Amino acid sequence: MTVEAASLKAVPATRPQRKRSERSKAASIALHAALVIASLIAVFPVFWVLVTSFKPDARAVETTPTLFNESSVDNYVRILSGDKGDFLAWFGNSVLIALMTTVIAVFLSATTGYAASRFRFPGKRSLMLSFLVVQMFPFAVLIVPLYNILLALGLQGTSFGLVLVYCTTAVPFCTYMLKGYFDTIPTDIDEAGRVDGLSPFGVFWRLVMPLARPGLAVTAFYAFLTAWGEVAFASAFLSAADESKTLAVGLQVFVQQNRTEWGHLAAASILVAVPAIAVFYLVQRFLVTGLSSGAVKG
Amino acid sequence: MRRFLDRHWYAYAMVLPVVVVIAVLVLYPLAQGIFFTFTNINEGNIANPVLDRAATYTGVGLTNYLNVLSGDPSFGSFWSTLIRTLIWTFGCVLCHYGFGLALAVLLNRQVKGRALYRVLLILPWAVPAFISAFAWKYMFNAQYGIINQFLRALGLPDPIWLGQSDWALVAVVIVNVWLGVPFMMVALLGGLQSIPGDLYEAAEMDGASPWQRFRHVTLPGLRSVSSTVVLLGIIWTFNMFAVIYLITGPNPNTRILVTYAFERFFSGASRDYAVASTYGVLILSVLLVFASVYRRALRKQGEVW
Amino acid sequence: MAEVAYVKASRIFSGNPPVRAVDELSLDVSDGEFLVLVGPSGSGKSTALRMLAGLEDVDEGAIKIGGKDVTNVPPKGRDIAMVFQSYALYPHMTVAENMGFALKLRGVNKAEIKEKVAEAAKMLDLTKYLERKPKALSGGQRQRVAMGRAIVREPSVFLMDEPLSNLDAKLRVETRANIAALQQRLGTTTIYVTHDQVEAMTMGHRVAVLKDGLLQQCDTPRALYDKPANAFVAGFMGSPAMNLKTVPLTSEGAKLDGIVVPLERHAMDTASAEGLNEVTFGIRPESLALVGSQHHGMEMTVELVEELGADALVHGAVRIGASSERFVVRVDGRTPPTLGQTVKVAVRDATEIHLFHPESGFRLTN
Repeated sequence: MTVEAASLKAVPATRPQRKRSERSKAASIALHAALVIASLIAVFPVFWVLVTSFKPDARAVETTPTLFNESSVDNYVRILSGDKGDFLAWFGNSVLIALMTTVIAVFLSATTGYAASRFRFPGKRSLMLSFLVVQMFPFAVLIVPLYNILLALGLQGTSFGLVLVYCTTAVPFCTYMLKGYFDTIPTDIDEAGRVDGLSPFGVFWRLVMPLARPGLAVTAFYAFLTAWGEVAFASAFLSAADESKTLAVGLQVFVQQNRTEWGHLAAASILVAVPAIAVFYLVQRFLVTGLSSGAVKG
Repeated sequence: MRRFLDRHWYAYAMVLPVVVVIAVLVLYPLAQGIFFTFTNINEGNIANPVLDRAATYTGVGLTNYLNVLSGDPSFGSFWSTLIRTLIWTFGCVLCHYGFGLALAVLLNRQVKGRALYRVLLILPWAVPAFISAFAWKYMFNAQYGIINQFLRALGLPDPIWLGQSDWALVAVVIVNVWLGVPFMMVALLGGLQSIPGDLYEAAEMDGASPWQRFRHVTLPGLRSVSSTVVLLGIIWTFNMFAVIYLITGPNPNTRILVTYAFERFFSGASRDYAVASTYGVLILSVLLVFASVYRRALRKQGEVW
Repeated sequence: MAEVAYVKASRIFSGNPPVRAVDELSLDVSDGEFLVLVGPSGSGKSTALRMLAGLEDVDEGAIKIGGKDVTNVPPKGRDIAMVFQSYALYPHMTVAENMGFALKLRGVNKAEIKEKVAEAAKMLDLTKYLERKPKALSGGQRQRVAMGRAIVREPSVFLMDEPLSNLDAKLRVETRANIAALQQRLGTTTIYVTHDQVEAMTMGHRVAVLKDGLLQQCDTPRALYDKPANAFVAGFMGSPAMNLKTVPLTSEGAKLDGIVVPLERHAMDTASAEGLNEVTFGIRPESLALVGSQHHGMEMTVELVEELGADALVHGAVRIGASSERFVVRVDGRTPPTLGQTVKVAVRDATEIHLFHPESGFRLTN
């Protein structure tokens, strides 16, 4: 069998005719060219921020930008040493809030998504529709009522209050995504688990959750980004003290009225982007399957 | 009833936390927000527990709605803003979908370095939006921005991108397209991968050209994923406030409904919560009407979700 | 070890109108018995099995296992093991973990689980694969793991839902024999669902035939074959299917093309008591024979000859009244007639004729 396969492979080389799966040279070049250009456009802004992050503020605004211009790591040193505000504290706050949001949002959307995927219960349709409607909320305008309710719950100014608000924005989409992913896991697995002696919760926890890891990874990524990059709620709901800011809020110090410290801002941006990109890199191989099964099934 | 609970209790137990959180943090604020639209509430008359001041705002009936819907420029020129919002939304989503689909089709082929291309192309999604906004604002700068330098090098005109002109709208659309393509691409790539390969083989047997295969196999195969992501894309773009607000600030040339609501909310000493809420309610209404029309159109084509 | 009983058990799917997927099923399965539920798709056989497993609600009636009413007991309290059509192996666990999962949930200690898994693996020739994930196994191996998972439990009842339908034809025949032998050896009560009547005939101690949620007949394979209770069972069991034709009735017997087939007295009496002038006449292909032209018989134009080796199936058209009806005759494989030829067909033995009520389908013959 292996011999045959090898000889089959060898044949097309001697034949003038192209193998079905091969593209013409020109098509191949065009394909790569398109992908390379698209990739450059995708990556360039990040690259440019990286380049700028090493330049002093004054050099960053020269009319003929160059790759290197008195470049050094000074911006990073100054930011990390706390010269420009308590960067490390902001970073810590952001990590804490983003992780809490991730854990809570994934847990909430997993249970809800599972229930929506597996059980037929009265009210399911309206629940899923209401999630769609929640997506339509111009949340920015709900800041005052949200502020009031957080105050009433004693959560105003706390990280946990902010985490809950982030969850409401992340959970609806995450639930859709996970429901779609759970739909791809055969229900036979659940039933086998039931017969083997698991309760409905046991099935969820011990069989479905481990099997849904790709979907969960994507959900976690989405929830993490929701919390990591948010500005409006973070500035409204956290106390104004410098040490309780998140990165997104703290970074505004580089953007003064008429003068932006581009070099420092770029360096800080890189520091902020690194964790997000790290999380992204961890889950990227699951993204296609995880997201699409959710989107395909809607 | 007992039997009803017996059968469904674990389903309800599993959705309960979400329902509670959503009810408390969405429905209640929404109700309060709607209530605000019938008052003249602002920073000056809202209850302030810190200063221990009681609320002094009063009901004004439909005044806010009448003011906004009259299209009065001092209330944000609602109608022209709505049109700009629609241009912004459909322009962005069309580009998102077009570029996303094109890239997904390219990535779905056997191509060397596919995994690397995929990582690079999804990257914009992973960068926090406020950082992307900074980056693009920097690149779009008329004097020291790399984009204009590039255009000058090519001998092309170098507009003042972020000034008081429609170039600003073009600029934010470009940024938002850059941000939104990865999501579409990934979703559509997944959709493409779920189309069985033998459908293409069958179409080839029937003598379909590559274009016909795309038209009659790929597009119908992507119908359900497309209808979902396009709807989501429209909703998200309609309400996309961060990109515009961070790049152009309160520029009337890039004003869309949600950024105006936010401007109204944060501008000046007397933050006008009432008008901001009115805008919020109108945004929600527009989207609800749109979504139900969209659903009906889909259902007519036999698609159900 | 336990007996199983369905007591007027029904499953009703909501809808308009509601569908009675299983309709007042009453069935007693004795301890150690191998019972096969068979029927066409949509007959409710899988639903009936899932009701027994506790995966489907019982809307009316009751289900008992070992004399105990388990109607409202969740699956884990029923002491049953199930083999699924898709096998439903846990993809994230190895073969050994799959097989030992139920025991682990019950809190059996590790050494004992290992021993039981090893024992079952040996029985099923899976020892080499214990550390593999299901993905790395062939279809037949996966099927055996699914069996192993059920065996390790030592349950009081095995439930099998079309466990062979994902195997290729040859492996299916082999595994069929293995399962029957295994059941014999373990002596565990087994309920087996299939749509394949050959599987039903070869494996079951008794076979229950379902149609549209209603139990048609439950008996030994032999009895089902020889004395089908109605026209549906007669047509469903046996391959190729029985020839079933509506024919006019005269005082001498059933009137076919040119010949009148005399019928047994009991059937004639019942028919005349019912005032019937037509009956559904059934005869298996092997009960018909080709005869020389000098004999009495039906004239049949040969339309198709299927050669099976040992014998051949002759399909042909026979005129009954104004219409032309298709008959199948099983003949010696060495001397089949040729296409287009007209042959004479006679009934081999009048006792092999089955008569059914033309409307209700009930059996008229003894």
